[in-house]
Amino acid sequence: MAHVATAEAHAEHDAHHHGPQGILKYIWSTDHKMIAMQYLFTGMFMGLIGGLMAYVFRMQLAFPGLPVPGFGLVSPGEYNALVTNHGTIMIFWVAMPVLIAAFGNFLIPLMIGADDMVFPRINRLSYQIFFISAVVILLSLVVEGGGFGGAWTAYPPLSAESQYNLTRLGASLWVLAVALEFVAFLLGGINFITTLMNSRAPGMKAYDIPLVCWMIVIASILFMLSVGPLIAGAVMLFFDQTLGTGFYDPTRGGDPILWQHLFWFFGHPEVYVVLLPAIGIVIEIVATFARKKLFGYKIMLFTAVATGVLSFFVWAHHQFIAGIDPRMANVFTVTTLLISVPIAELLFVIIATLYGGSIRLTTPMLWALAFVAEFLIGGVTGIFLGASGSDVYLHDTYFVLAHFHYTFFPIAIIGTFAAITFWFPKMFGRMMNETLGKIHFWGTIIPFNMIFIPLFVLGLGGQHRRIYNFQNFPELAAMQPIRVLATLSLVVMLLFQIPFFVNFVRSLRRGEKAGRNPWHSNTLEWTTESPPPHGNWPPDQMPVVYRGPYEYAHPDREEDYWPQNLPA
Amino acid sequence: MSEHNHPNYKKIYFTLVGLLVVSVAGPFLGVVWVTLITAFGIALVKANMVVQNFMHLRWEKGLMKWMLASSLVLMFLLFAGVAPDVMRHTGSGWVNDAAIAATERGIEVHGEEAEHATESEPVEETPEPEVAATPAAFDAAGAFATVCSTCHGASGQGDGPGSAALDPRPANFGDAAFWADKSDEELVRAIREGGAAVGKSPLMPAWGSLYDEEQAAQIVEYLKAFRPAG
Amino acid sequence: MQKPLATTRSATGIPTSRLAVWWVLASEVVIFGGLLASYVMHRIGHPEWAAAASVTNTWIGAFNTLVLLTSSFTAVLAHQAAEHGDGKLAARYLTFTIGGAVTFLMVKAFEWTEEITHGYTITANGFWSFYYTAAGLHALHVIAGAIIMGFVARDAAKGRELHRVEIIGIYWHFVDVVWIFLFPLLYIAK
Repeated sequence: MAHVATAEAHAEHDAHHHGPQGILKYIWSTDHKMIAMQYLFTGMFMGLIGGLMAYVFRMQLAFPGLPVPGFGLVSPGEYNALVTNHGTIMIFWVAMPVLIAAFGNFLIPLMIGADDMVFPRINRLSYQIFFISAVVILLSLVVEGGGFGGAWTAYPPLSAESQYNLTRLGASLWVLAVALEFVAFLLGGINFITTLMNSRAPGMKAYDIPLVCWMIVIASILFMLSVGPLIAGAVMLFFDQTLGTGFYDPTRGGDPILWQHLFWFFGHPEVYVVLLPAIGIVIEIVATFARKKLFGYKIMLFTAVATGVLSFFVWAHHQFIAGIDPRMANVFTVTTLLISVPIAELLFVIIATLYGGSIRLTTPMLWALAFVAEFLIGGVTGIFLGASGSDVYLHDTYFVLAHFHYTFFPIAIIGTFAAITFWFPKMFGRMMNETLGKIHFWGTIIPFNMIFIPLFVLGLGGQHRRIYNFQNFPELAAMQPIRVLATLSLVVMLLFQIPFFVNFVRSLRRGEKAGRNPWHSNTLEWTTESPPPHGNWPPDQMPVVYRGPYEYAHPDREEDYWPQNLPA
Repeated sequence: MSEHNHPNYKKIYFTLVGLLVVSVAGPFLGVVWVTLITAFGIALVKANMVVQNFMHLRWEKGLMKWMLASSLVLMFLLFAGVAPDVMRHTGSGWVNDAAIAATERGIEVHGEEAEHATESEPVEETPEPEVAATPAAFDAAGAFATVCSTCHGASGQGDGPGSAALDPRPANFGDAAFWADKSDEELVRAIREGGAAVGKSPLMPAWGSLYDEEQAAQIVEYLKAFRPAG
Repeated sequence: MQKPLATTRSATGIPTSRLAVWWVLASEVVIFGGLLASYVMHRIGHPEWAAAASVTNTWIGAFNTLVLLTSSFTAVLAHQAAEHGDGKLAARYLTFTIGGAVTFLMVKAFEWTEEITHGYTITANGFWSFYYTAAGLHALHVIAGAIIMGFVARDAAKGRELHRVEIIGIYWHFVDVVWIFLFPLLYIAK
């Protein structure tokens, strides 16, 4: 990571200052903004690795048997390991750290007018455990036998017995890394929740909290309440792998379905764990650039809570063909279709906010609008998978894969870029370049659709997810041009990330000075300097809150925004 | 917290100990439902007393009570959702035959051990089941049947269920041409380091993490059974 | 390190550290809840496990329950002392609690050694797998609690950070509550 490297160079110079010194100032800091940066850069680095993994296995699918430039021949085992770890890394080491940990850390104290998290040292510990988990997952890729290749869902017996997964060490390290990551986010989540509950600025009532903070906290609560059974399940899986117990072995009294239940009891709420923060980010951006009061603050908040509650009742729709009790399949079909109601409501509130606003199409706004459009496709295609009747045919095809990416790409990638472009001025004190930003936006969105719309077609054509080489199946081999199209689009999309990195690095040094409030936004983080100093505000000028966060274009005011901390 | 009146901690402690005695004594009556009540009913009462009085939940804000209650409710939800699949394999109008068969095979094997266990007192020095504890001697035929045969076929003809998707095809051990140019060392190497290591198809995975040199050699010996005579 | 202003605020009226420990416990409830729910459904689904369960020693389990109940009692007395500002007394009571934790672990170690030498290892049967996993996870919490309590007692003896006595106490009672459920599940229900 670049900032660590530069810090190293300066290490000797600050050797006589108080507190953590030199490089330690960056890696041993308890400041919430520095921890947010650590999460952000680690997440972006892991995202790069995950993206390159996608490049390698997509190349194998498009040009099977040919060496992939920059990687070489892909063996079936490597293919499985790449697919598995692409999924694992993108969800647990990119979406979670960036959306929840990085922006949660950066935004919550600033937005509620506090000087830091309530437990700064636990916050630092959380990042350190997360960092170790990232090292462990990367290490698992290079041990004897290679990385774990049993898909990110890690169903036993494939994950439990090394005679099937062929990598005793890789599979165990994978479980260990995921468990460590959970511990890190439990610590972080407790911090977010208590900070939001207890440390709000004087005058800030529950309905004055910016929605993105609510969303991150609701997501943390969801995570905390859903992950427990999976932690227990991961311990059992680890014992199955290392000690030879039979928790998931039916011939020894266990049951492999148990793991699927424990996994999805967490796995489905996990979708909402990352979705809610992304929606929160989009809300902040849409309200700011539509210059209009958010349509229905309380609707949004309670809908998010309803989504969270409902998300605990839908998990078994991932298991319709796993041989579960058919009566349960009926129940879970109904609950799954029900949960589309609050999600649709969230999107309608965003659209209603746009209606009649004076919209400014800045780069963050483009990302926010793209989120709504693309996530909608993801949501609508989910209906087919939530209904057990049609899921029986579509299960484990590329249709599922395309649906999943139409939800997670908007969440993890579009949401992240929206947030980075929106809060970059606050994080680093300088503006990003709009032209490069828009090139990057269109260069990402268009290829994204060209990757995944073809995959819907492939899925409906009967293409199964976990196949290494389709050339041996005549009816699937005929669809090869579609696969090549998807792969080439991916390469184009990856290349279009270069403008972003150029923009990011260039703006850090040479961007236009941002000032305190470049977007004329209302929330508290814009009332301090950019970047905020240690402690966020001078101790005698801690903000006091007088109104809600979305008072744009108020008829009584000349300016079209009304910061939360201005006395009436 | 210092505002409210503290409960008499000593009284609560002695009540808890008394309840503990009841819960241990319950099973001596030998009535199942009494045992269930003394065991789990009293556990609930005890837990409630500890949580309310020692942890002071009684004086905590409603928020915290709701939060703990919802985490408990979620566990009942988990149980309700999972139990139909894991606890029982039959219901009205459906039977999970495969799961029942697998469980019954397990009961056959492990139920016998359990019977041993009932007969013996744990304190006495009785030989106990150490079936799973001692590693079995290496079984090359078993290894072939579970691992190799998926592609190479149960009879070594290169026609296992996994072979359909592979190009080049898996080796056919029943083919004299296969044995013409292979040394034992080469085969051991192919098993442990994968096909690519000996210049053959990279689709043959490396099994070195499963089998050491000695075990791979035993598998090679086993393969020779497929070799056509003469 | 100086405490941030954020830590001293309390918009809910519940002190921050107590709020946090309740959230920790909520997350622990689901960890143990998931494990015990899995155990219960397996146990009911496998009547033949009763044979294995009958081997566990109820007396040892009952003794350990008594030890944990007593240590919980001293923990709450420590809290009472801390509320009255008597750090020294609080520290002494906490030391008793740590003693309870150590006794518990020693009894456990003896019990497990006995069982393992008789061949009841973690791989012997599904019951034993759950037995060692659940009790082991609980024992880890006992160890962690005892270590943290050592730090709290050290500070309390000097009259510092007295509010932490209550926090570690709440955690300790939770560990006790988990055992209150493990005891009937693993020892009494034969």
